[in-house]
Amino acid sequence: MLTQTREVAAEPEEGGAGLKTHLPRANVVPLLLFQKREVYSVELSGIKDIEKTDKEDGKEKSRGLKNKCLERKKNHQKEELKKELDMDDHKLSKEELETKYGTNIITETPEIIKFLKQMVGGFSILLWIGAILCWIAYGIQYSHDQSSSLDNVYLGSVLALVVILTGVFAYYQEAKSTNIMSSFQKMIPQASVYLGSVLALVVILTGVFAYYQEAKSTNIMSTLVIRDSEKKTIPADQLVMGDIVEIKGGDQVPADVRLLSTQGCKVDNSSVTGESEPQARSCEFTHESPLETKNIAFFSTTCLEGTATAMVINTGDRTIIGQIASLASRVEDSKTPIAIEIEHFVHIVAGVAVSIGIIFFIIAVSMKYHVLDSIIFLIGIIVANVPEGLLATVTVTLSLTAKRMAKKNCLVKNLEAVETLGSTSIICSDKTGTLTQNRMTVAHLWFDHQIFVADTSENHSNQVFDQSSATWASLSKIITLCNRAEFRPGQESIPIMKKIVVGDASETALLKFSEVMLGNVMDIRKRNRKLSIHETEDPDDKRFLMVMKGAPERILEKCSTIMVNGQEQPLDSSTAEAFHTAYMELGGIGERVLGFCHLYLPTDEFPETYSFDVETMNFPTSNFCFVGLLSMIDPPRSTVPDAVTKCRSAGIKVIMVTGDHPITAKAIAKSVGIISANSETVEDIAKRLNLPVEQVNKQDAKAAVVTGMELKDMSPEQLDEILANHSEIVFARTSPQQKLIIVEGCQRQDAVVAVTGDGVNDSPALKKADIGIAMGIAGSDAARNAADMVLLDDNFASIVTGVEEGRLIFDNLKKTIAYTLTKNIAELCPFLIYIIAGLPLPIGTITILFIDLGTDIIPSIALAYEKAESDIMNRKPRHKKKDRLVNAPLALYSYLHIGLMQALGAFITYFTVYAQHGFLPSTILNLRVEWENDNVNDLEDSYGQEWTRYQRKYLEWTGYTAFFVSIMIQQIADLIIRKTRRNSIFQQGLFRNKIIWVGIASQIIIALILSYGLGSIQALNFTMIRPQYWFVAVPHAVLIWVYDEVRKLFIRLFPGSWWDKNMYY
Amino acid sequence: MRRQLRSRRAPTLPYGYRYRLDDQDEVNQNYLADEEEEAEEEARVMVVPDLEEEEEEEEEKEEDEKEEEESHSQETDSAWWRKLQIVNEYLWDPEKRTSLARTGLILVIYFFFYASLAAVITLCMYTLFLTISPYMPTFTERVKPPGVMIRPFAHSLNFNFNVSEPDTWQHYVISLNGFLQGYNDSLQEEMNVDCPPGQYFIQDGDEDEDKKACQFKRSFLKNCSGLEDPTFGYSTGQPCILLKMNRIVGFRPERGDPVKVSCKVQRGDENDIRSINYYPESASFDLRYYPYYGKLTHVNYTSPLVAMHFTDVVKNQAVPVQCQLKGKGIINDVINDRFVGRVIFTLNIET
Repeated sequence: MLTQTREVAAEPEEGGAGLKTHLPRANVVPLLLFQKREVYSVELSGIKDIEKTDKEDGKEKSRGLKNKCLERKKNHQKEELKKELDMDDHKLSKEELETKYGTNIITETPEIIKFLKQMVGGFSILLWIGAILCWIAYGIQYSHDQSSSLDNVYLGSVLALVVILTGVFAYYQEAKSTNIMSSFQKMIPQASVYLGSVLALVVILTGVFAYYQEAKSTNIMSTLVIRDSEKKTIPADQLVMGDIVEIKGGDQVPADVRLLSTQGCKVDNSSVTGESEPQARSCEFTHESPLETKNIAFFSTTCLEGTATAMVINTGDRTIIGQIASLASRVEDSKTPIAIEIEHFVHIVAGVAVSIGIIFFIIAVSMKYHVLDSIIFLIGIIVANVPEGLLATVTVTLSLTAKRMAKKNCLVKNLEAVETLGSTSIICSDKTGTLTQNRMTVAHLWFDHQIFVADTSENHSNQVFDQSSATWASLSKIITLCNRAEFRPGQESIPIMKKIVVGDASETALLKFSEVMLGNVMDIRKRNRKLSIHETEDPDDKRFLMVMKGAPERILEKCSTIMVNGQEQPLDSSTAEAFHTAYMELGGIGERVLGFCHLYLPTDEFPETYSFDVETMNFPTSNFCFVGLLSMIDPPRSTVPDAVTKCRSAGIKVIMVTGDHPITAKAIAKSVGIISANSETVEDIAKRLNLPVEQVNKQDAKAAVVTGMELKDMSPEQLDEILANHSEIVFARTSPQQKLIIVEGCQRQDAVVAVTGDGVNDSPALKKADIGIAMGIAGSDAARNAADMVLLDDNFASIVTGVEEGRLIFDNLKKTIAYTLTKNIAELCPFLIYIIAGLPLPIGTITILFIDLGTDIIPSIALAYEKAESDIMNRKPRHKKKDRLVNAPLALYSYLHIGLMQALGAFITYFTVYAQHGFLPSTILNLRVEWENDNVNDLEDSYGQEWTRYQRKYLEWTGYTAFFVSIMIQQIADLIIRKTRRNSIFQQGLFRNKIIWVGIASQIIIALILSYGLGSIQALNFTMIRPQYWFVAVPHAVLIWVYDEVRKLFIRLFPGSWWDKNMYY
Repeated sequence: MRRQLRSRRAPTLPYGYRYRLDDQDEVNQNYLADEEEEAEEEARVMVVPDLEEEEEEEEEKEEDEKEEEESHSQETDSAWWRKLQIVNEYLWDPEKRTSLARTGLILVIYFFFYASLAAVITLCMYTLFLTISPYMPTFTERVKPPGVMIRPFAHSLNFNFNVSEPDTWQHYVISLNGFLQGYNDSLQEEMNVDCPPGQYFIQDGDEDEDKKACQFKRSFLKNCSGLEDPTFGYSTGQPCILLKMNRIVGFRPERGDPVKVSCKVQRGDENDIRSINYYPESASFDLRYYPYYGKLTHVNYTSPLVAMHFTDVVKNQAVPVQCQLKGKGIINDVINDRFVGRVIFTLNIET
């Protein structure tokens, strides 16, 4: 009965409101509520209608345009008719037709194979060269002497193996993080529930399930099409242009279609335009922009209700979605800042390695060394110079951070993107769902000539406005009764704001509001049941109450009185003025305003038994009593203003880019602090000074609101100007392409740009951005695929976490690299001195690999766990081109200061070992040739003792081991000093980062195993060394530490001084 | 904090500087140059007092740069030229005559840094030498057990010669003669003492006292001394080969059991060598030559020798010979080291 009434009642009420059928705001639904005896309520639901006139103007204009077009078309057709009929479509088979007009499949970008890339990137090339040189050296040796040792073959193979293993490892890490990503994607809402093996199982199952679902859904997507003069169901991908299709509620629109006839058709356009409200569709041309006109429905959108017949106008890649998808796929994935930094660093190190290698190759050749020997020196220099383990370390470090961020709801898809947020200097944020809660909420009330503020925080707990007025009692009654939304049953334990509601956005907001304000709404409604007799709250009052809500001005039209302090007063011009002021004020801050009125029907005319009939309208529709206004907004998330402030203090510019109306966008921007309280736009200044907009000095305005229409006419230079001159910018009503343009504009300013978004329309911008951040819950798949990072909780505040982690990882990577580079000098010097001074080789190539890939790995990863030294959120984002990861001070300090000190310490150990065994430094000078001669088995040392070749070799290996241990010991000191770049180690706390100590322990244990566990394995060139050699380098380690403390002390004492600039890395 | 300072400072730099810093590739190529450049800037910031001068200079500089830019505007595409120009500017700026001085500041700092490092390493080495005795090596375990070497030795352990062609063996004879010069009886008698055989020649006393050495006369080698047969038997196809044990400071064979030498065919028919004469006849190193006190104090120490006279070796065939030391505490089977306690060589005597 009730439903019937509603539907029947719709038509006349609409007519009364004077609105056209095709406009959604005209969709007025009256609802009859019968209180026990006399109360009768009519609900008039509508939408605020500020822009109505504009739109209608636009509509007329466009109609005119359309007519002109038609005329032209007609003329053109006349010309065409005179020509011979040129057509062969009739001869073609259906298959040929499909090929001619294109089938309806969106092409996908192919999978890229990253594996080989890992094998040749970075240092791998250098190591390959080293390996090949080794093999060449062996080849030469072999051609001279068939019995030559296989050492060079082994070394070459080891180098190749190192490259392959590092490559496999990096690939694996990358793949793993992508896998984690895709599995998380499928289960984002419950991500935190599953643990351990359950997680793994679920991941697999969801994966399989999702795949199955996907396969299934692509299979069933079929459509009803009129072909061969009959209705057929065919798979949607066989559609061609010109097909006539039928769409009904629940269907996905199979292609871009022009609607031919509709019946109450509504579509969900959120995936295309980002509008979350259902959009009504009709056959009429209403807007020039194809995105906004009502007679077009887009591929992949869903028809929510009604039916439509439509003609296919675009298929496959030519659809709007297809275009966006191909736009997104065509947008080049630019290199992440950290990738650029690492490349830069690789260039530096490779440059140093190659140039030193070549210089010493030349020196060696000119010193009359055999070319073969020179090649072997070259290999040694390359191996010593290249930090083999570093790239793997960086990968691990990044993935550790990625994991940490995933815990904080930032899921990183592309490992390198971990750091990007840290360098970000501009964030282009979408509004809906990111900055706002994406649900309408009652924000303001107006009654008794006063505006009251309602609490819009996530839980609505804190409603402070005055509720004593009798008007409020009436208003709340209307809000409660004049509402069709209902809570879905079975949600008793869920907080009110989280309950799922059946009904549209505004009614949901009202329902939740009244539930919070009054308690059990359903119960109240029950007590005021329609058409049934119940006990009433006020037994004396036997009148029907008729309630109505709707667009304020329409409601006001129907009212003759207004309620003030519970008393009905005649509606005079001053109260109307007050109403308008309030209405404009609330509308002006971007809120959707609803008016509420009621009418007590007199008992004599409408007795208890009166039968209402909406068809004949046998009840009054005017002379209501106006009770109040209520305005709603999609309120900002409570964490956003704080997060925006934090971004500001971190030197990050936050720009809002939204598809929404400028007024709403500006209001939200103001409330979250994107436009700060005291800054004005050019328009604001113009209004304040009463000047035309053109005369205002644009430099005075800190803020700017730019609409898509304005943006369309702008040159890139103008956009640059806006981006550079205004610190607070809001872009409203933007299209996907424009989002892309904005991102490009920002990038032209040398900024690292982060884009947040959720819709398909955001995906090109997400891809173009240095880091695209998609919403995990509300985000569309397209957005999530295009993004580098997914916010699992859709919360803008998580970005701040990301920024913090990104900056921290940048700092920590600096430390890691500084740590790793340092020992390269200690590894390189032996080779240089070996060549120049002819000492027995202090450290072997294999031993170097054991440092780079053995003892140093865990400590350098441990640096990733280091806490920030100072408040990293209070400094500016790094400049992409000035603040490099590896800068000159870092390289020089690592190489020429600490590195050299390490080399010295290690050499002292080396000399100690040799001297204590009989070879004083003076003796070993230039001893190389004899030392390495296999036929000299009675080489005399400083004491006259004679050594066989193998005894010397063994001593040499002892030297390697001692040198290795010394570097290791000094690397411990290096590790400790790298904990901080500026603060004293005591300020940072020696024991706060426990992982560092794990790293130190690992270093010592690995060295112990190598020296004492594998001492007998000849190929590794390790021997058991006397325990005291472990301690020779300890004073040098202490010296390194003291030196670095002094460096930091001077940096702290004299900020900005010469020392600071040259010694701070 | 520092970062902010930097970024605040940055815009005040003349245009050219910023450009240079921005150039990424250049960082690699002119790495050191960059550093110098930074120092240069920084030095400029430091020299605040004469602000006016500074400004003038900067103006001049800017003008210069403009001029330069103009003059090279035709070659703007040659980035290399510009880079060279920049490098040149650091090295010697003719206008300001200062940049080199600023570079000099860095050099001075580095000079002091490295000077102190040098001081540290000198100190370390000094300490090292303090702890090391010049007379006794601290550890001798790496040189033990003793290695063995033979003479004549000419790059190879293969003795290939033709008896009838003196050219093929003459160099062995020369080598042996040369080696044995130090063992000449006259020299030994003059320099060294004749100490009692069969017991260690232990000389107590201070480490730094000169030690006496025992005589090992060339004549001990009898037929292999080259005194009677100046060709050491090579001319008759009966070569002499001298075996020498490597010197090790403080090495003493186990008491009462001098180290003996014994040779045999390593692989193949044992009868390929039918007889070997050893000189001294005991085929051992007498105990009186031990211990060795190191070359600083034990100046005239002459290593004892054992000569093997291969009097009857199969001719025209390579005979691998292994000579081993035998005695208590002597190791002669180290797999990796074929010269510890043994020596392997081949004899191929052609007639």
